Amino acid sequence: MMNPNNKSKFPKLGFILVVAILAGVFVRLGIWQLDRATELKELQKPYIEQPVVALSDVAKPASNLPDSAINRIVTFSGQYVAQFDAPGQKDKNGAVGKWLVGLLEVNGGGAILVVRSLNDEEIPKGEVFVQGRLMVRQFEDRAAKSQDQLSRLDPSLLVSTYDMPVYDGYVVAQSESVNGKPLELKRVEVDPVKPKVPGYYWQHISYVVIWWLMALVVVFLPFYSRRREESNK
Amino acid sequence: MAFAAGIMSLLLWFVELPVVYLLDNPDLAEKVKWIPFVHGYVYAFYVLAAIHFTARARFTIKRMVFFILAGTLPIASFVAERRVMKEFPLSK
Repeated sequence: MMNPNNKSKFPKLGFILVVAILAGVFVRLGIWQLDRATELKELQKPYIEQPVVALSDVAKPASNLPDSAINRIVTFSGQYVAQFDAPGQKDKNGAVGKWLVGLLEVNGGGAILVVRSLNDEEIPKGEVFVQGRLMVRQFEDRAAKSQDQLSRLDPSLLVSTYDMPVYDGYVVAQSESVNGKPLELKRVEVDPVKPKVPGYYWQHISYVVIWWLMALVVVFLPFYSRRREESNK
Repeated sequence: MAFAAGIMSLLLWFVELPVVYLLDNPDLAEKVKWIPFVHGYVYAFYVLAAIHFTARARFTIKRMVFFILAGTLPIASFVAERRVMKEFPLSK
């Protein structure tokens, strides 16, 4: 036979479970906001440059750029197969202008977009050695797209035109040399990309306070309810 | 507190959020950046005040939760405050 006391235990257990889950969710949301606040503080620190590496060591053609590869100074060599203008680009000083961008077929396979200069230059003939910063691709158009012009620095714009696997992202060249002879061009200067966390440090901290306060409220409510019932009796 | 939380909610919903997410104007966004975090702290105090008041007034849990949540919506905290003022008019 069923014990009548068991009947009332289940709703009580269920209620405790709901309170625990809700309080847990609120505590977790507070921790999430705390992580965002910490992340924001980390982003305010200056970027620490890492050693120069070969492009093929940190990225592969036709695959997404790994987070660890973003901002790395990479080296590679190959031949330029096309060149484009990329208008509406902003450098580290906020100056907006047209950048000269080449598509370089990398030795060992694949092609990559290389921001070469602020000025118009001829495509260098022969094998070019490039060193530059690897950047994440752009998502928003800065201009109209045409045969000689890129609307944004995004290799996916070229996939249908060129029959070769392309590297994700693009490289802002710091130096180029042909047969060991450096090419003296007016280079584009950019700062390392910083991932964006929306909001401000003290804003996230205020949300931490609210979420944890909510967790306390959830724990407090059953006691309040019980006290209220008892005093009503 | 309900009045302060209501004003901050109005500023958040109808000033800060449109400026940050609809307008591409970093200068203006910089000028309104104080709104979300002031709103955050005002709301925390509002929650404490709401619990303190509703517990003393011996409100039901449902009404207490409504009062706490009213601070998140721009108009709801004004409505909540008005109802309370009707129910518990200030003695002169």
